[in-house]
Order: sequence, then C-alpha cells, then structure tokens
Amino acid sequence: MQRAIRLVVSLSIAITACSASGIDTAALSELPLASPETITELLTLSEQPVVINVWASWCIPCRAEAPLLDKAVSRFGEVVQFISINVRDSQNSAKEFIAELLAETNIEHFFDQHGAVPLALGGSHGIPLTFFYGPGGSLVKLHFGVLDERTLALQIDELLARS
Amino acid sequence: MEFTLLGATAIALTSVYCMLWLEEYHDKTASHSRKLRDLILPATIVGLIAGRLAAMIGNGVNPLTNPQEIIILRAGVATGPAATAVLIWIAWAGRSKLQTLADRLAPAALAGLAGWHGACAVRDTCLGTPSDLPWALTQHGSSVARHPVELYASLAYLIIAVALIIFKPFPSGFAAGAGLVGAAGIRLLTEPIRPSLDGGPISWYLAGLLSGVALIGWVVSRSRGATLD
Repeated sequence: MQRAIRLVVSLSIAITACSASGIDTAALSELPLASPETITELLTLSEQPVVINVWASWCIPCRAEAPLLDKAVSRFGEVVQFISINVRDSQNSAKEFIAELLAETNIEHFFDQHGAVPLALGGSHGIPLTFFYGPGGSLVKLHFGVLDERTLALQIDELLARS
Repeated sequence: MEFTLLGATAIALTSVYCMLWLEEYHDKTASHSRKLRDLILPATIVGLIAGRLAAMIGNGVNPLTNPQEIIILRAGVATGPAATAVLIWIAWAGRSKLQTLADRLAPAALAGLAGWHGACAVRDTCLGTPSDLPWALTQHGSSVARHPVELYASLAYLIIAVALIIFKPFPSGFAAGAGLVGAAGIRLLTEPIRPSLDGGPISWYLAGLLSGVALIGWVVSRSRGATLD
C-alpha cells in the first residue's frame, strides 16, 4: 500500500513538473484597449454574427470554458466573428492566459481594465459572460456564467439561422 | 448559472430514487433496492469526477496542475467515461450479486437519464436543430422553431424504464442489457438533432449499444441452452 502511494505521488510530481512551463509573454503584443464605443461600433458594422466572451485570467470558470471556445472557433470561425474581452486584469496575465489556452485560436482579443464594456452592453460585473449578436449588433442572447457545449452550439446555431 | 446544473442533478437523482421505490412497490421480492439506494449517490459522485477529469484531459487541461477546475462541472463532463466509471463502481460495490443488481439498476438508471434530460427546462437546454414539426419549440425572442430533443430523449427513457418494470419477469441479465441498449440507443438516435461542436461522443454510444446487444445475445443463448438441457 505504501509503495503504491509513493508511486502515485512520484508520478504526480513528474507529470506536474513536465507540464509546468513558464510562458514567455515578452514577445506577445499588448492587447488593444476596448471601450464601449469601439465595441459598439464594431458590432454595428459587423456583417457576420458576433460572439463576445468576457473573461479574466484569475477567473477559474473562464479557464474551464476556454477550450470550448477554441473548439467553436475552429468549427465556426469562418462564419462567426469571435471577440474576447479581458476585464479587471493585467496585460501580462491576460497574455499568459491567451498563450496557454487560446494561442492557436482566431479570436480578436481586447483589454478592458475597468470592465466598462460588458456593463455598457447590458451585462454585469460577474464573469464569465458571453454575448451572442446577430449581424449589425442585434443581441440574440446574453449568457451568464460558464458556457457548456450544448448552450454554445445552440446559440451559434441560432445566430446562423437568423443570419 | 451553476445552480441550474445542481437543480437538474437533483431532479435526476430524485427520478432514480422514485423508480427504485416504484420497482420495490411493483415487485415485493425486490430485496436489493435498499442496497441500490445506498450505491446511487456515491456512484453519481464517482461518475461526475471521472467524467470531469476525462473532459479536462480531452481539452488539454492538466487536472494535476489545475485541480480547482475539476469542480467546474458545467464546463463539461465526458459522458462515456462518466458512465463507465459509474458502471465500474456499481460492479465493484455489488460484485457479490452483480447480475441481479444490474437488472434492478437498469430501470432506475434510465429513469435518472429521463429526469436529467427532462430537467433541460431548468438548464434552458431543451432545444435542438431547427424543425417544421407542429410541436417544435422556439427560444425566447426567436422565430426559429426547434426540436425539443431533450424532451424526446426524456420521454423515450421513461417509457423504456417503466416497460422494464411492468413487463417482468425477464431472464437474468436481460434488463441490464436492455438498459444499455436503451441508454446508448436513444442518445444515438437523438444526436443528429442535438446541437454540438464536434458531433458528440458517438463512439461511446456505439460501444454501449454493442455491449447491450452482446449481453442480451448472451442471455438469450444461455436461456436456450438451459431449455435444451
């Protein structure tokens, strides 16, 4: 029994050590700043449906839903515009998060220090938040909390059906 | 919101316990229902943890370096590994009377699935792909009518669960096989009209279906062998 415990602990340490990697964010460019005006203009001018995800690097549920967004972008990135807005965070932490979880994903990232954008769009201080907009900026759905695959797939399908 | 998931889980567990009570009421010889009631809650916890771990690993998230994400169930619970973990737990816990327990468990498990899918109204996840059928439902503010796919699944599971209680007796092992076929088959049938990012875990459903068919085939051949003897 003790041998088994030692083996499990050793394996855990080894796996943890192998997967732990320092993320060099020095080479990553700063996230562009977002304001309610810039995002609203972007939405108004959009010819595609838009999904806006609001997150922070310290938000554990945001980390949990990032792979789902990655999957959605891989499948629908050609027909839906995906935007992510980092709120109440630091540029470095945001860049680390993106490098770790969304590096390969074609998402437009923005930085909103004070969280003004989600409030202006009708959201709240709580995160994660996801807005689903039709072309031209008509709000279809505002989802509070972590996204699950069914909800994300259904809302994207709804956006595409209405387009 | 996370409480909707908790609410749906509570409804599913309540459905399981109700079906166990119904089974006991319908068949006074169902002496293993009390043991099953004691197994359900730990089995559910084991399944949720296993399914969450599998989903995290499948999404490239290391659970050892991100243990806090294990509790974020809404981010995804892999159905196949979760179901497998539940079955392994039940099999280990009830190993002394496995076949009988499996037969008793099948209607309750299907009732749990019926409750979970029926609780889609709580989680606002009832709708599937667009449909012109007269009973198709629309999302609030939408004009796109959709299959109430989760309600289809819930009704189908409930019918099979009740049938497994009413149309007794069956050869030993048949109810368990039929439960597997029902659970996997209903998911396979409804998956094409259920919105998904990657088509769903079809391989797991096929594995469940084939396992159930194999079990039923084994039960039938054993019954025929016994008859010939």
